[in-house]
Amino acid sequence: MIARFLLAIGLAILMVVSGTTSYIYLSTRQSKAVAAPQKPTDPTPRAQQFTLPGTIYLAQSGALYSFSAGRFHQLTPEAGWTMPALYPDGSQLVAVKRSPFFSDVYVLTRFGKVTGLLTDNQAAPRSRWDPGANAWSFYPRLSPDSHTLFMSYDGPKTAGDANFNVVMQVWGVPFGAPIRNGRSWTTANNYTGGDMQPVPLPAGGIIYTKYSYDSNGNRVGQLWFTNRAGSAGKALTSQAASCAQPSLSPDGRNIAMICTYGKQVSYLTIASWNGSTLGALQTVISDQLVAQPIWAPDGSGIAYLAPGGPAAPFQLWWLPRARYAPPAPSPLPTPTPTPGGPHNAPLPAPSPLPVPTPPVVKPVQVTTNLGFDATSPLAWLG
Amino acid sequence: MPLGFKPGHRARASRGRLSPFRTLSIVLLAIALSATAGGFAYFIPAAVTAWNATAQVVQVPSPSPTGLLFSPSPSPSPQSEGAFTVLLLGSDDDSKFFSDHVLTQSMILVRVVPATKEVTMLSIPRDLYVQGYGKIDGAYSYGGAGAAIAVVQQNFRVHVDDYIWVGLLGLIKVIDAIGGIDVVTTNPVLDDYYPSDVYGGSPYETQRVAVLAGPQHLDGLHAMEYVRSRHGDLQSDFGRSKRQQQVLMAIRQKAKLLAPGDIPALAAAIGGELKTSIGLDRVARLIPLAASFDNPDSIRQIVLVPPYTHGGGPGGTITPNWNLILPLVHQYFP
Repeated sequence: MIARFLLAIGLAILMVVSGTTSYIYLSTRQSKAVAAPQKPTDPTPRAQQFTLPGTIYLAQSGALYSFSAGRFHQLTPEAGWTMPALYPDGSQLVAVKRSPFFSDVYVLTRFGKVTGLLTDNQAAPRSRWDPGANAWSFYPRLSPDSHTLFMSYDGPKTAGDANFNVVMQVWGVPFGAPIRNGRSWTTANNYTGGDMQPVPLPAGGIIYTKYSYDSNGNRVGQLWFTNRAGSAGKALTSQAASCAQPSLSPDGRNIAMICTYGKQVSYLTIASWNGSTLGALQTVISDQLVAQPIWAPDGSGIAYLAPGGPAAPFQLWWLPRARYAPPAPSPLPTPTPTPGGPHNAPLPAPSPLPVPTPPVVKPVQVTTNLGFDATSPLAWLG
Repeated sequence: MPLGFKPGHRARASRGRLSPFRTLSIVLLAIALSATAGGFAYFIPAAVTAWNATAQVVQVPSPSPTGLLFSPSPSPSPQSEGAFTVLLLGSDDDSKFFSDHVLTQSMILVRVVPATKEVTMLSIPRDLYVQGYGKIDGAYSYGGAGAAIAVVQQNFRVHVDDYIWVGLLGLIKVIDAIGGIDVVTTNPVLDDYYPSDVYGGSPYETQRVAVLAGPQHLDGLHAMEYVRSRHGDLQSDFGRSKRQQQVLMAIRQKAKLLAPGDIPALAAAIGGELKTSIGLDRVARLIPLAASFDNPDSIRQIVLVPPYTHGGGPGGTITPNWNLILPLVHQYFP
């Protein structure tokens, strides 16, 4: 009788354990596709990090991070921080802090301490009843001489305008001066979202992304160039290519960008730049959803964001220079006359050497489970 | 007989002892039963939700005289064997409206041809003028899914096999439950007067929205902002329809990666925010079918922009040009 009693107790325990285990096992069989991204600083064990030269600044979930020597450091709390950009001398950062109704540009040390506020985009207290009285500032960049802050800006605004045509224009503001001292450098197309992501050029002027409607009524991006405030500027890429997110190479002679050709794809594309026109577009990566390309300061490659898998959050990737600028092949050996050979005879034809096929250089996935903000450009300090 | 041993004692003792075989059998049976019970416990909430959401009975009102214009259904060609048409309905189901009397801000006719793996999505402008309702988005509000189906059938002269209705929160929760979606937003979507009715205090308040351009991973809330905002779009509802189709494609892409273990979370997200006339058995058959549609080029997207429609109709409606619309619809929704 005792044996049966013990068996019953044992079976009851076994059934509880078995049922619970079954439930827990099924709950662990969720696909990785739905797993939330981790914070870059989470101490979870991961494969050895790929090391890139210098320090890259990037954003995830409203926090800024630096990535150097294979390690991430969190610079700010998760409080709407995005779009970091370096001072030309690399001494400090400017970045956007986004709130639900407005965003402002701040100055931060390279370790994330806020040292200044450059814009004041919240509506005045008497106008806060109108959401449209607030303004956005996005994509701040300093001119090479650090005298001008360029950014996309949708102000200034007046409460009660009820303006549905919200478009950003590229503004240039003397560094540290209020927005009233600034000027709009571009004229945005209505109902397109406007002009975004300015890149100040060493020789003056800016390259930026302008959005417009094509002949089929689809909205497309184009790289545009303007050399002074208020000038009409000119398109550098076609509407059909639909390019955006320009990045200037350290030597100033190439532009990296993304082009979508009007589809749900995004190709990493590069083109030469002579100061006023772009060369032919060269597609470098066509099998990933590439975002925010940036050149390595030492010219050794291009970093960018792209999903780590199908329909997954965006990870940091690295494309070595050999992929888009392969080393020149070694010259074929020149035949030399054989000493003592027949005089005036034709030289022997070189034996057809097999042309070595350059190895295919693949992009390197630097992170695996982090999920960076793909609308935030990267900043890279050499 | 040993002293003290009573007759029958051995037999009772034998019955009292459990043979190893019987014990093992009982243990294995207990493990199997309890493991199955654990599995049921995991999936039952999802099954209940699915049961409640699917196989909704639809009363389609009998056609008005215009229904006489229906062309007879052609006999199915081998290519169209098994083809079916679904009406997707999306609603603002916030507190501005009484439950189940909501407008359908999004109406998309979807034709699926399994044999050729072709899908056609046709977005119907919510402000399209139709007899009886004015704006077509009011049909669901007055008569539920049946009225919405009837008005589409009568005006577009198509046969709708089934409908799927999703509420605002449902879309947000579904996208979050599948871990977000990857979308290439074609341009910055900026709106200073976007309805703040999802998580806001008053359904009549507004908020600012800025969904920036380019490839990105969107969570449910930002995906909703992307597909719902229309003030900053010169094409207004038409532009929004294109974005809705983009997001639907992205959801389909992500759904292909899901595992059975994801079903309860997904069902919990959907709970009360999705209704369909498709039965549970057909849903089970359609899931692998949807996964097999892996060529994005085989998915045709149609938005009824001018000259198919033009603005300026009575009461802010959009006037349909049926002479252009009907041949188009007949081509892709035979």
